[in-house]
Amino acid sequence: MTNKRSVSAILFGTGLFMTTSAFAETDAEHMARLESKLDAMQTELSQMTSGMAHHSAGSAGIPLHGFSDIGFASNTDSDLASNPKGFFVGSLSFYLAPTFGDRVKALIEPNIEVTPADDIAVDLERAQFGYSFSDTVTLWGGRFHTPYGYWNTGFHHGGQMQTSVMRPRFLDFEDKGGILPAHMVGVWGAGKIKAGTGKVAYDVYAGNGPTIAMGVPDPAISATAQTLGTLTIGQAGDNNHQAMTGFNMGYEFSGNFEGLKLSAHGLQGDVDDNSNATITSLPSKLANNKTELSMLGGSAVYLENDWEILSEYYGFNNTNKSGSNTGTHKSWAAYAQVGKSFDDWTPYLRFEKTVLDQNDNYFASQASGQSYARQSLGVRYNLNPNSALKFELLDSKFEARGTTAAKSFNSVVVQYAIGF
Amino acid sequence: MKVTILRFISAATLALLASQSAVAGDVVVIANAGTNLSAGEVRDVFLGEKQFAGSIKLVPVDNAAQQESFLAKMMQMSSAKYSGNWTKKAFRDGLAAPAMKSGDAEVIEFVKRTKGAVGYVSSSPSGVNIIK
Repeated sequence: MTNKRSVSAILFGTGLFMTTSAFAETDAEHMARLESKLDAMQTELSQMTSGMAHHSAGSAGIPLHGFSDIGFASNTDSDLASNPKGFFVGSLSFYLAPTFGDRVKALIEPNIEVTPADDIAVDLERAQFGYSFSDTVTLWGGRFHTPYGYWNTGFHHGGQMQTSVMRPRFLDFEDKGGILPAHMVGVWGAGKIKAGTGKVAYDVYAGNGPTIAMGVPDPAISATAQTLGTLTIGQAGDNNHQAMTGFNMGYEFSGNFEGLKLSAHGLQGDVDDNSNATITSLPSKLANNKTELSMLGGSAVYLENDWEILSEYYGFNNTNKSGSNTGTHKSWAAYAQVGKSFDDWTPYLRFEKTVLDQNDNYFASQASGQSYARQSLGVRYNLNPNSALKFELLDSKFEARGTTAAKSFNSVVVQYAIGF
Repeated sequence: MKVTILRFISAATLALLASQSAVAGDVVVIANAGTNLSAGEVRDVFLGEKQFAGSIKLVPVDNAAQQESFLAKMMQMSSAKYSGNWTKKAFRDGLAAPAMKSGDAEVIEFVKRTKGAVGYVSSSPSGVNIIK
């Protein structure tokens, strides 16, 4: 009995020990499995984070940004076709800036806007592909914003970036009052080189010379203006097989003059119109129009201590190469804008003026080639870093030319602009 | 006795404030071990003006926890101006603004494993280039 009890006790004890051991092994295995799973998850998470960081560092993917604006305008101009009143939709401009590896990049900018004729137009603003050799040389090719002055490449369709509502009229887009090709199809080299305490910044470019497209019927402009033309940039090729070339070279100061940039710019090339192809009864001076555009000028910009001071000057010494008004003609255009930020408020003031020789076929042929002077006074309020409300008063005076009478009018424009 | 206690509290408060501002002001710029930069080049890197160190493409990253300190101390600019600068850079030159990391650990981890990476943290870590 005692032996039986002893055996039973031994068996029970052994069984208990084995069971305990069995449970202990299961826990250990369980823990090992959990640790293994945890390690796997940690590795997976690390890989995911790594991938996301790599992505956000700009070496992959397509960052998408854009600008858009809406607003209201009123004016005292009796020519409502040229200066409509009421609410308006501005433009919706997207830009994509993909990079492909360390040195290859692109800028693609489709733009959707309402035309003066109340249509919706889709435009490929920019389609430029670049290769960065170093900090001092990046070579771009394709369609780009022509790098003259400061405004055209600094703001362009980015209404939310610019302090004012309106661009200086003579620097506006080709079909909205601009007198220069705001876009170009060609090649563009750009870079910055350290010099002293500051940097020399340069742009050199060559591309298709623009054409002045004559007499394009447009209900938004007067009948007189319809006998005139608009610059078109030659996206499919150069109609006169002569490239337009230009440069923009400046010095960016540092230290006590941080924020100051002084630059010189130039643009040269032949510009033809297509008058013979579209209109048969033009004044003789417009027939077979060919002008050698020769522009030299400069800009001075100061962006520091809450000040924004912008100024650009364009001097023209154009040569008529055909028609009755041969010879060289001098003209000029300039603006100066001063703004000062007080937290989210920025009041600003701008003066702009053009004196354009109407014996110069280049200006005489363009609907926007009329001399004018304009003063603008406005205030911008930043609702947040991505949106702004602007209120602007303008006083404009246009000189007479040909059959177009002189006129002056006042305007008020309100704009709500966003950037993303 | 009351005066002594008040003096002690004042001294302790001042010491605490002083130590806090010293911590807030400490920003250490770090780069991937294979990336050589000088302190004078850091500003240009974070403004998109310097994109290459020799043949290496630089990848600056921001640190949300230290950005205010970094912008004030190293860049001498406000957050709004820094952001505005990158909006213009992206628009004109097609450059991507630095990716934002949540804090030191994330920045250090990224800088260690990414060739050309440059970041800033609150204290000097090991395994990276300290930019002095």
